Amino acid sequence: MEPLEIAKKIKERFPDQVIDVEEHRGQVGVIVKKDRIVELLRWLHDDPALHLNHLADLCGVDYLGKKDVRFEVVYNLYSIPLRHGIRIRAQVPEDDCQIESVTSIWMGADWHERECYDLLGITFGGHPDLRRILLPDGWEGHPLRKDYPLDGGGKNWSGYDKVLERSKKLRKYDFYGTYQDPTKKTGIEDARE
Amino acid sequence: MAAGSSHYDLDRFGIIFRASPRQSDAMIVAGTVTQKMAPVVRRVYDQMPEPRYVLAMGSCACSGGVFKTYHTVQGCDEFLPVDVYVPGCPPRPEALLEGLMKLQQKMMKEEMRWSRWR
Amino acid sequence: MLENKAQLRLVKGDEATHEPYTIAMGPQHPATHGVLKLDLELDGETVLECKPTVGFLHRGVEKLAENLSYAQTLPLTDRLDYIASMANNVAYSIAVEKLLDIEVPLRAKYIRTMVMEMARLTGHLLWLATHALDIGAMTVFLYCFREREILLDMFEEICGARLTTSYTCIGGVRQDVTGHFLESLYDFTEDFPSKIKEYETLIDKNRIWLKRTQDVGIVSAEDAVSLGLTGPTLRGSGVDYDVRKHMPYDAYPYVKFEVPIGSKGDVYDRYRCRMEEMHQSNSIIRQCIEALPTGPIRAADAPDLVMPYGIQKKVAADATFSSGIIKLVKDSERYIEGDVYVAAEVPKGELGFYFVSDGKGVPYRMHIRSPSYIHIGALSFLCKGQMVADVIAIIGSVDVVLGECDR
Repeated sequence: MEPLEIAKKIKERFPDQVIDVEEHRGQVGVIVKKDRIVELLRWLHDDPALHLNHLADLCGVDYLGKKDVRFEVVYNLYSIPLRHGIRIRAQVPEDDCQIESVTSIWMGADWHERECYDLLGITFGGHPDLRRILLPDGWEGHPLRKDYPLDGGGKNWSGYDKVLERSKKLRKYDFYGTYQDPTKKTGIEDARE
Repeated sequence: MAAGSSHYDLDRFGIIFRASPRQSDAMIVAGTVTQKMAPVVRRVYDQMPEPRYVLAMGSCACSGGVFKTYHTVQGCDEFLPVDVYVPGCPPRPEALLEGLMKLQQKMMKEEMRWSRWR
Repeated sequence: MLENKAQLRLVKGDEATHEPYTIAMGPQHPATHGVLKLDLELDGETVLECKPTVGFLHRGVEKLAENLSYAQTLPLTDRLDYIASMANNVAYSIAVEKLLDIEVPLRAKYIRTMVMEMARLTGHLLWLATHALDIGAMTVFLYCFREREILLDMFEEICGARLTTSYTCIGGVRQDVTGHFLESLYDFTEDFPSKIKEYETLIDKNRIWLKRTQDVGIVSAEDAVSLGLTGPTLRGSGVDYDVRKHMPYDAYPYVKFEVPIGSKGDVYDRYRCRMEEMHQSNSIIRQCIEALPTGPIRAADAPDLVMPYGIQKKVAADATFSSGIIKLVKDSERYIEGDVYVAAEVPKGELGFYFVSDGKGVPYRMHIRSPSYIHIGALSFLCKGQMVADVIAIIGSVDVVLGECDR
């Protein structure tokens, strides 16, 4: 089935949920509200004419300052037997940063959602084990948000700070002075000049 | 990994990979060290018996490489005393062999090395 | 009053001796293919629960890509799946080409298909080597690395690097292949099937190998799709899903190949799938060499890195891009708003790139759908109820690289 046809079908079935349909380079994205997202995706998964059984990708996008609704959760779906695909983009506002989990439809969505929570701070309701996954526990902030600086703003993870402190303390037992402070001048630079 | 296998063969220099830090003399820090990994690397180093040496393999372990980001440690010498740096991303097996031989030369020159807590 | 569990065990006898306990495997365990940590909850030898922990190699590639232009991000993709980086380069390039609507010359398509299949061979050879090593067959490790070195030397011939190749560029490939390279590659493909036979004589009917792989880590077709498994790991369960056939890219529509499919979905089926895939890759490389057309290797209007030739030799150390002294990036007029998801079949499975563009020269958002990440997520399902020794076999059979998993 052509992706535009699928989009039309979704519009017929959920007229009040679909906000917009966007096409780019032959791929179609359907922008929907987040309220009935699980119902919508379950229908897409179960309907025999659509049968979108492969969740290719799930990720979040931060549209800070670009759109009225700050976040979007993007589901890239594909049907292995019928060989067609569609993209569903659910809008998630910043003040209610929460969406229902789809782990009941696809088991593989588990880690996708944890990653999305970790890096963007979108919570998934009904998720069995929503913890940080790539970053360590106790990390402050969500790095993929647009207002997060690339180098983390010079702030380290508390566990790493402990390691640094410990290695600094043990440095005084170094007899031969193999450790060189990177901030100190070694004299090599002067020779080059 | 290729350095250990048939083509390059580390064994001929008397270097054998050990699975446990308790039996090791030198540690190769291969690849990027992140903030989450740093306590683990430090723990492995602490488990090693003295005398112990550290070889930083690759640009990422030496200086952070291209990844100047929020989660990457900018060089494992921030929290470890590194003896030999092997640059390259990733270094060729020959470069790693050269680094290990440099480390062997460094050991030969040493008169006394006693620092239990370093 | 019985306070601790030891006393309780004494009183209750046999019933309470099955007390679950937890062991932590990794992150520097030699058989975990990188810095993967598994928390195993055991009852005797049986795994009750397996909780993988990842993120020890999380370098923030996605965030970094938002600050670099499209052409500058390409070298970062080498560092994802560093054992088959050619495949990552191709996957990234086709995604950006789809986003910017760039048509690639036919010769470049054939060359890309060729190097991608070479990457598949290197990936599968390394997988076989380490998988066999984990299970206990040392000889296979040495055999596989012998052939892998030949392939890596060929990579070095065409792009100057063994592992981090950065060979493709957006809209084509960076350098043309030489006649010597094609000849030596053709010789290799003539020789290679006999080498695969050599590996098979070592392990294919080996009784220990069969005992350790058959009926271990079974996953049904339905569960495999639901878990999001892709690549040979999915096809071992009997699902016919190959991105090369479903969404053909580059020269895959022009070459003939079959997609091997398993039936049971155990470790042995996945192993057989990958072995058959090596035969198919070999034949694809041969077809590409035979049908390689002449012509240009790069689309003219693609954004790319350009060398700062013709500029004054002395450049101040603090010169920046904005001051206009060095311009490393050739910009394209094709940037428009929109989003696109493009996948490619890399040795591990389906590697997808999701791009959101806001009409500028840098991606607004880049998300990498890495197969290893999903496969490690599936480990807790696969390992449940298995013996602890089989966990190693299962990790080997799903074929993960942590650089790609953590990004």
